[in-house]
Amino acid sequence: MSNTQSIAPVPIDQIVKATNILQQSSAPKFGHELLPYFSFKQGFLNLNNGSYGALPKVVTEACNELMAWQEENTDFYYRIGFIPPLIGVREQLAQLVGASDVDELVMVPNASTGLGVVLRNFLWQCGDTIIRCNTTYATVYKTIQYIHDVTPGLEISEFQLLFPTTRQAILDGWQKHITNVKANAPQGQKIVAVIDSVVANPAAAMPWKEMVKICKDVGIWTIIDGAHSVGQEDLHLADCGADFFVSNCHKWLNTKRGAAFLWMPKESQKIMLTTIPTSASYVTPGPDRPETNIVSQFQYNGTIDYTTYLSVHVALQWREWVGGEAAIHQYCNNLAKKGGALLAQTMSTKVMDPNGEFTMAMVNVTLPFPSDFQAQYDASVGTALIYGGPESAHKSGMNDFEILGNALVTICSEIVSEHKSANVPQNCKAVSFSSYLEQPLKGAVALDSNNGIGAPRPVTSTKVTLVGYHTQLASIRP
Amino acid sequence: MANVVSQYESKPPPFGHEMRKCFSFDPEYINMNHGSYGSLPSPVAEAIKPYYALAEANPDLFHRFTSIDLIRDVRKRIAKFIGAAHTEEVVFVPNASHGLNTILRSFIWEEGDIISSCNTTYNSISRTAEYISDIPPHPEVVQFTLLFPTSHSEIIQNWRAYVRSLNEMRDQSAQKLGRRPKIVAIIDSIISVPGALLPWKEMVKICKEEDVWSVVDGAHSIGQELDLNLAEANPDFWVTNCHKWMYAKRGCALLYVPKRNQHIIKASFPTSHAYKKGGGSNFVEQFEWNGTIDFVPYISASCALDFRAWLGGEHVINDYCHRIALEGGKRLAQILGTEIIDQDQDFQFTLSMVNVAVPFPPTMSSAFEIDMAFRRKLLIKRKIYPAFFYHNGKWWIRCSAQIWSQVEDFEVLGQAILEASKEILEEFGDGTEKKTMGIEDKVEKVN
Repeated sequence: MSNTQSIAPVPIDQIVKATNILQQSSAPKFGHELLPYFSFKQGFLNLNNGSYGALPKVVTEACNELMAWQEENTDFYYRIGFIPPLIGVREQLAQLVGASDVDELVMVPNASTGLGVVLRNFLWQCGDTIIRCNTTYATVYKTIQYIHDVTPGLEISEFQLLFPTTRQAILDGWQKHITNVKANAPQGQKIVAVIDSVVANPAAAMPWKEMVKICKDVGIWTIIDGAHSVGQEDLHLADCGADFFVSNCHKWLNTKRGAAFLWMPKESQKIMLTTIPTSASYVTPGPDRPETNIVSQFQYNGTIDYTTYLSVHVALQWREWVGGEAAIHQYCNNLAKKGGALLAQTMSTKVMDPNGEFTMAMVNVTLPFPSDFQAQYDASVGTALIYGGPESAHKSGMNDFEILGNALVTICSEIVSEHKSANVPQNCKAVSFSSYLEQPLKGAVALDSNNGIGAPRPVTSTKVTLVGYHTQLASIRP
Repeated sequence: MANVVSQYESKPPPFGHEMRKCFSFDPEYINMNHGSYGSLPSPVAEAIKPYYALAEANPDLFHRFTSIDLIRDVRKRIAKFIGAAHTEEVVFVPNASHGLNTILRSFIWEEGDIISSCNTTYNSISRTAEYISDIPPHPEVVQFTLLFPTSHSEIIQNWRAYVRSLNEMRDQSAQKLGRRPKIVAIIDSIISVPGALLPWKEMVKICKEEDVWSVVDGAHSIGQELDLNLAEANPDFWVTNCHKWMYAKRGCALLYVPKRNQHIIKASFPTSHAYKKGGGSNFVEQFEWNGTIDFVPYISASCALDFRAWLGGEHVINDYCHRIALEGGKRLAQILGTEIIDQDQDFQFTLSMVNVAVPFPPTMSSAFEIDMAFRRKLLIKRKIYPAFFYHNGKWWIRCSAQIWSQVEDFEVLGQAILEASKEILEEFGDGTEKKTMGIEDKVEKVN
């Protein structure tokens, strides 16, 4: 067998050719001119980037190249090849988010995993307290519930956050809440607070650094669910004061889905015993365990496709080409404010945050339901997708938010008449999210907070396909 | 879901080197270690492209509805494939380590509990057991010793004696504690290194007789072990990687939990929005969404089964791989002047992986540096690579025979190993003089 050159680790730019095009052309303006650079189906109006992100075509192609590289010599890839590019990605992210050292930042598949592994590393005891909010994201909310259920004597303290409100009101309320928790907590037991940097539902940028300070001043651990942060706002984690920070790269940073980071300064790493799953490089705590063992553990803890993590490199190149972080943030922020106002006008309802103090790239607008209907039912119209058909094609002068507004007015009135004619019982509940799935795609459900019986009632609309999505406030988040 | 791909209209290439057409390996690389990370056939890579396109065409629709429906269908197909009694007993997890961690972390551990592992348990799973033991309430890890050469009947005999001794330990604890602790045994269906099929079904039966939980690490099973019938074998828990021997895309494994045990699984990891106290009642739902990931690998499991059907099905694939493993292994042992680890006259331990001793003197060091040296000399320099491991006083290599393999590959490997081991003997000595053994797993500088 003739051997030519032996294999050596290569940087991502030598493997990926898809980004060459970025050097050859300049980016179009923000707005519909950028749509051809994404892969959305013709006619699909994507106003919900916040849930699952969106992959530019260049990044998709780069990922194909990275996946092909993985198959060329899989042993080389998994034993040697992926490591230098992965460290490179961690360095890039560490710089982007203002970490003081690359070894403070590791990759995880998603924010739920990052937050889950941190929460499950604490050695919980009777008398400990975990602070969450009513708005804490479902998987994290339930992780805390699970920990409570398996730790006798552990207390959950829930901070109530109800919009509309103000940043000052939140801080005042938080201060009171923390003071109260601290006063009631048994001496010597730990208190851990999970704080959103950006709440998911409703979408709201929180004064999380001030909330962290309030906790830190009285010795409370702070874990930040920053799922929506990176790519939507500037981060300076080195002096944020938090103990842990997790963010999804596949939401607002245009990476392939399945990429997030966990930031944990050196002090915080002391409580991190293991990854989940536990890695082959796990060492029992003690004098033989290197200080940075947890960072090594995160490098490999079960076979995964590292393409998602490596796509960060390409996504950052794309974002630089498109205009850079500051320009992206500014454009989206302006559009969210203007678009939200236009949407509210179209539907004759209100923007939740008219001052814009909670608004970055997401805006919340009340749905056009009659008030008595909203009081009776928690209608599950979360996100409406305008799907296909020449009727929904962009007419000149028509704004995305206007199109959405008109569609929602139609949908909501359909839901109201469906419910009226279907005689849905008073105390009716969809048993679970998956019950939506047992019905046709077009579905809206009557719910209540108590246990009851019920079934989804279909809403028939030829123009729109509804995606059922449980929300307390019956508002939409673009 | 589109099951028939147009590329399956023509006949498949014959097994052997021509089958490389269906894979995308570096043409200079001889892949003899499929067992570590699997290999994605090009037709499967093609077949999943439409799903990636769907995910980007409308991310909301795909992630909230389409992917969930698709994955349900795949679970139905796979559940039948492994002989599960119900589809609801099978869920997807990213990899076997994840599935096994989910199980082991779900048990509510108490003082006096015993976790049984084996000296041959996969390294990350051994560490998992260690971690669980390292934190309160410190269940004890006890290890079953399994040393080759041996036989299936000897292993079964030893296992029975061992499990009975665990029960004696438990009885003693029970007296002190006033309650009966639990024993959870981690059993490999197929050991990773050496690559060897164990009499795991008999071992599971013995666990049942002795009131011991059986957690089966079947990472290497699906696609390599024929005629899986889990309802019949009836382990308490069973996990396998579809991305190893079944040709699915990486990031695809199964967690099998029979209905009677679903209450043990308190929560998925990460915890699902559907989590309820007590677990069990909505086992499947809790595993349907555990954070945003690339869901296409789960869908690829079905595309992989299509590919395998096109090749002629499970028996056709595995008969070829098994034959090559035995012939190739014997040839390799001949070239190296050593032996196959499977000394059983019927080769009960050998499916598609074969383990052959490295020609080193018995005094040779067991340091990890030796493994790293082989990695440099074979994987990087010579572009051919089997897995290396140290077992019962010797260095061994584990070769994976696959549909693209031929006996000639084992001959090329044999020459490469003869050269490399001579070099290593010169560099490291034969172990009779003391040498420093730095065992930190650093990335080696490549020449």
